[in-house]
Amino acid sequence: MKIIRTICYSVLVLAGTACQPVEQAKEVGIQPEPAETVAAQSLGHGQPDKLLWGDTHLHTSNSADAFSFGARLTPADAYRFARGEEVVSSSGLKAQLARPLDFLVVADHAEGLGLSVELFNGNPLLMTDAKARRWHDMLNAGPEQSFKVAKEMITSLSTGTLPEPITNPKTVVPLLRATWHRNTEVADEFNTPGVFTALIGYEYTSVPQGNNLHRVVVFRDGKAKTDQILPFSALGSEDPEDLWAVLARYEQKTGGQVLAIPHNSNLSNGRMFARVDFAGEPIDEAYATDRARWEPLVEITQIKGDSESHPFLSPNDEFAAFGDAGWDLGNLSLQQLKKPEMLAGDYVREALKTGLDLGAETGTNPFKYGVIGSTDSHTGLSTADDNNFFGKHADSEPKPDRIRHVVNGSIPGRATRIGWQYQAGGYAAVWARENTREEVWDALKRKEVYGTTGPRMRVRFFGGSGFGADDAKSANMAGIGYAKGVPMGGDMELDEGETPSFLVAAMKDPDGANLDRVQIIKGWRGIDGETYEQIYEVNWAGNRTLNEDGKLSSIGSTVNVSDASYDNSIGASELSSIWQDPDFDPDLPSFYYVRVLEIPTPRWPAYDAKRFGVEMPEGTQTSQQERAYTSPIWYTPK
Amino acid sequence: MKFNFLVGASLLALGACTVAEAPAPEALEADLTNSEPTSQQISAGPHYSAATSNTHPTRVYWGDTHLHTNLSQDAFTFGVTLGADESYKFAKGEPVVATHGEIAQLQRPLDFLVVSDHAEGLGAMKALLDGNEKLLKVERLQRWREEFLKGTAEARNAVAQDGRGNGWPLELESEEIKSDSWAHLRGAAERYNEPGKFTAFIGFEWTSSPGGSNLHRVVIFKDGAEKTGKTLPFSQNESDKPEDLWKYLQSYETKTGGQVLAIPHNGNISNGLMFPLLQENGQPLGAAYVETRSRWEPIMEVTQIKGDGETHAFLSPNDEFANYETWDFGNFKGVLKTDDMLEFEYARSALKNGLKLEADFGTNPYKLGMIGSTDSHTALSTADEDNFYGKHSAGMEPQKNRWKDPVGKGGDQAIPGFMMAASGSAAVWAKQNTRESIWDAMKRKEVYATTGPRMTVRLFGGWNFQEADAYNPDLARIGYAGGVPMGGDLSANPADQAPTFLIAAARDPMGANLDRVQMVKGWRATDGETHEQVYDVKWAGQRSIGADGKLPAIGSTVDVANATYSNSIGAAELAIVWQDPDFDAKQHAFYYVRVLEIPTPRWTGYDAKYFETQMAPMVRLQHQERAYTSPIWYTPNAE
Repeated sequence: MKIIRTICYSVLVLAGTACQPVEQAKEVGIQPEPAETVAAQSLGHGQPDKLLWGDTHLHTSNSADAFSFGARLTPADAYRFARGEEVVSSSGLKAQLARPLDFLVVADHAEGLGLSVELFNGNPLLMTDAKARRWHDMLNAGPEQSFKVAKEMITSLSTGTLPEPITNPKTVVPLLRATWHRNTEVADEFNTPGVFTALIGYEYTSVPQGNNLHRVVVFRDGKAKTDQILPFSALGSEDPEDLWAVLARYEQKTGGQVLAIPHNSNLSNGRMFARVDFAGEPIDEAYATDRARWEPLVEITQIKGDSESHPFLSPNDEFAAFGDAGWDLGNLSLQQLKKPEMLAGDYVREALKTGLDLGAETGTNPFKYGVIGSTDSHTGLSTADDNNFFGKHADSEPKPDRIRHVVNGSIPGRATRIGWQYQAGGYAAVWARENTREEVWDALKRKEVYGTTGPRMRVRFFGGSGFGADDAKSANMAGIGYAKGVPMGGDMELDEGETPSFLVAAMKDPDGANLDRVQIIKGWRGIDGETYEQIYEVNWAGNRTLNEDGKLSSIGSTVNVSDASYDNSIGASELSSIWQDPDFDPDLPSFYYVRVLEIPTPRWPAYDAKRFGVEMPEGTQTSQQERAYTSPIWYTPK
Repeated sequence: MKFNFLVGASLLALGACTVAEAPAPEALEADLTNSEPTSQQISAGPHYSAATSNTHPTRVYWGDTHLHTNLSQDAFTFGVTLGADESYKFAKGEPVVATHGEIAQLQRPLDFLVVSDHAEGLGAMKALLDGNEKLLKVERLQRWREEFLKGTAEARNAVAQDGRGNGWPLELESEEIKSDSWAHLRGAAERYNEPGKFTAFIGFEWTSSPGGSNLHRVVIFKDGAEKTGKTLPFSQNESDKPEDLWKYLQSYETKTGGQVLAIPHNGNISNGLMFPLLQENGQPLGAAYVETRSRWEPIMEVTQIKGDGETHAFLSPNDEFANYETWDFGNFKGVLKTDDMLEFEYARSALKNGLKLEADFGTNPYKLGMIGSTDSHTALSTADEDNFYGKHSAGMEPQKNRWKDPVGKGGDQAIPGFMMAASGSAAVWAKQNTRESIWDAMKRKEVYATTGPRMTVRLFGGWNFQEADAYNPDLARIGYAGGVPMGGDLSANPADQAPTFLIAAARDPMGANLDRVQMVKGWRATDGETHEQVYDVKWAGQRSIGADGKLPAIGSTVDVANATYSNSIGAAELAIVWQDPDFDAKQHAFYYVRVLEIPTPRWTGYDAKYFETQMAPMVRLQHQERAYTSPIWYTPNAE
């Protein structure tokens, strides 16, 4: 058999049609004059096409509370762990992430930064005092004594009997500054552009009457600039407006850039997103402008619960209760129990709605928040995977009884938070061009970010006009998204008569669970001045259909609790589509964000129960549907 | 008892902190006690994180093992002006100015790159242009320099003509220039090698072409500049026999304690010489040949710009996907191809013949893993259809007529540009992005080839994979625990049962959906003859296998006029456990996976749109890109 050689065939045919160029350019290397300058055909350059994963909120042994609970890991350990290395945890377990993170903010509490370590190590500046020496000995005498020191510190504080060196600025400020300078140095050392970003930051720990008003402060800059200030302590002021003033002074002084991220609004008993300022005065435009200026993001999910939504606020949302159990009993300290009227100031979805209203009233939306997740882990270990969860504190690192721990000093008979209620979450997903401080920080600032409860789903979300049905299936989906719309965190521009359409694409975590569904959550302010919300099922796995009230049936579950396992025989690996708002009213300010739900997977207590061979306490939630929340896209009438 | 300490922490008023910004009255900074990290006092106990017991690779790295710069004689005469620095910058994702002035950039950076310039006359042309005094003593080379200085394609081509027609001056093989050039390449690799971020390998190409038949090998060192500084690239002018290349590799390892391997490519242009069953004189290859070859050549480059070498329609008449980017006209000197040569040129038939040779000599010289690479001579590693910079800089970088202009010649036959394949990529399962980790993965064949797209493909062979394993989120761990990965061996057959294969393919997240996953099996029957069979094992959509045993085509969404396609067909992910229904425990066999994408525009389709040009009807404007994994071999227990 003689096969027809491709080349002979093609040359022959070519000769019959367009052979001339071949004739003219017979010889190899004859180069036609470039007829025109050719631009690179590469698509989408200049648009963020790298999805980076990180934690903006991690504590190490430099945080006073973390240290007292036994944390011994330093910022350097935290960076090593985050970038994928094996480390030994404070309780002596070998720990490693299944996948490294791309960036990390070590955000130790500003208040008393590093002082516990200095007491523990017997810094001569502090050892001049007998009480300080006793504390030093107790801190070195094991966990029980260590906790006692923490109690004594509080008592001493309230009775004005703190050891002299701790109250003396001449000794304590140089110590704080030295710790801060070492932190910034270590951050610079571990910051590796293109590989791993170590952002410099700290936590401002305002907690009036046990109501959580904490903020994580994140700098864009390196040691040279951040060394020019010290972390602002809530002891200086518990009023966030004073924090913003400090941040403004930092930028003026250094030419650097900084932002703040509030977290655990769920533990603020209505104060985080209150309609009044710290002093109780109604929010005015100046306040709204400052808040929007310094706080582009909120941490929507973390170990101490999920702050997206609450069933009381969203009774029609069957997924609203995620990560609320225990945490919605009261404020951070459980000194004050929760009352239903507080919830509106506690949860992010409601805050986004309130923001629309305040925006209409004051001219500026103070709660125009993008969202991220982070851990707030106090172990030096940023773990958000349910099968590799190192807990909140060193004393809740993996051990058989941690699921039963009493987390919060309960008010007997009234409210108790139990260990199993900790959430193994979350992470911050960032759309950036490069893995550098500048690129990650800028993405945080422009809100092109989203939060997940731990898994690494890949989510794209664009809002604009004129998306066609095929755009969601295009290989150049992101390029189309940027061309026809704005990404998550943006403001939609619509011409008169246009209705918004959205491009939503979600891919499952390649090492994780399939997806159940993609939802768009819309909030708006009606002409009546009231705010509303609506959840739209946009895309889902399997052959389900929406029922009469617009609900989708449950996907089912493959979770085997006793085996702490699941499989991907249900769900979809990818869900992408175009969605048009069927209820759009061009006169109403509104926002849209995406919620992506995974199929059910085991919660960390199930993994613990299997691994340690222990029973879970009654009521333990053993499986869950993990999720991603994107930053919203806003629409503002002209 | 527990209490909420956060309140306490925040109350740690420590008077001094009240105004954090206040300047310290005395010392700015105090000495801290714990210059030794507190964490070092912890003694390590048991592990909790599963990752601490990981011994397997968890991610795939993408690269090109085969790229030429202006230090390659041919690339230089084609006109490329870019060197190794630009190659690395481009591979790392930076924009660079290409030879003809456009700004070129990869959509996604590569993880690793081998700059593999031709050993023959390494750097000499550039040295000549730069005015090397020794070269300028040769009158002919003086003339050549004058030609180069004209800066035109015609002038450069005249030099190439002269060289090919009248022979290349021996002075171009100057050891001094080669040494300087080698130092330059090694230095560049060291500068751009960043463990954990980007791997720059030191390597070269040995360009043996006896009678115009391609026996080329890319040589890749595991080592850095110091060890590789103790050798010089081995040139075909020293010997065009692979046996002598292997001697050179052995002497390098002996001398330096380093490690090195060689990768054959373009068997499709070897006119039957690349994967022989017999020596050229008709004698058996012999045990020494097969053992030495298998020692130095663990993998082959199976797809690149000059065609795809997986299999040929003549060799695999029942394989409807065999005729992909085929270059089968003959060799570099235009000696035409005959059917009988093909068996010794293509990967699948070589894998089969390897089983035969193993029966004769006890060693399989063609136990080869598979990678793809570009062999681009533009210093730009491009394997994407929509960003293809072509084979070389003489008219094959983006320009309106490149589809019909000649990319090269086989003898007197011009080969039109549209024959170029925008291919391929090397995918490597490694633990880290370092020279050591990636080189070791190539050596153990835990690698696969794609024609450009970045599909993620896992393949494990074992005896007891269960259907549900394909749905398990911990698929890789199950795969490694219960079997061997691609490139591995299966032998002991516990219960006289057929092997099971755990296969998972995920589409390129920035590319096309998947059409199907196929298992390609080759085996040696007891009569000594070899056979092959392609099984469709998993596919997208609701299709079923027809009476002819074939899966119907998936269809196409390609809009040729607009050079677009849609992922409205196909699957994002295809995973399955497959058991060989025709297994015979006595037969030596290999199994590799071929993953097909849904149809997408070919680079010619993108060019037609971009340059608004009409191409001749025979030019393919769409195709189905694919991945080929390294095989897993089954060897019966010794009788």
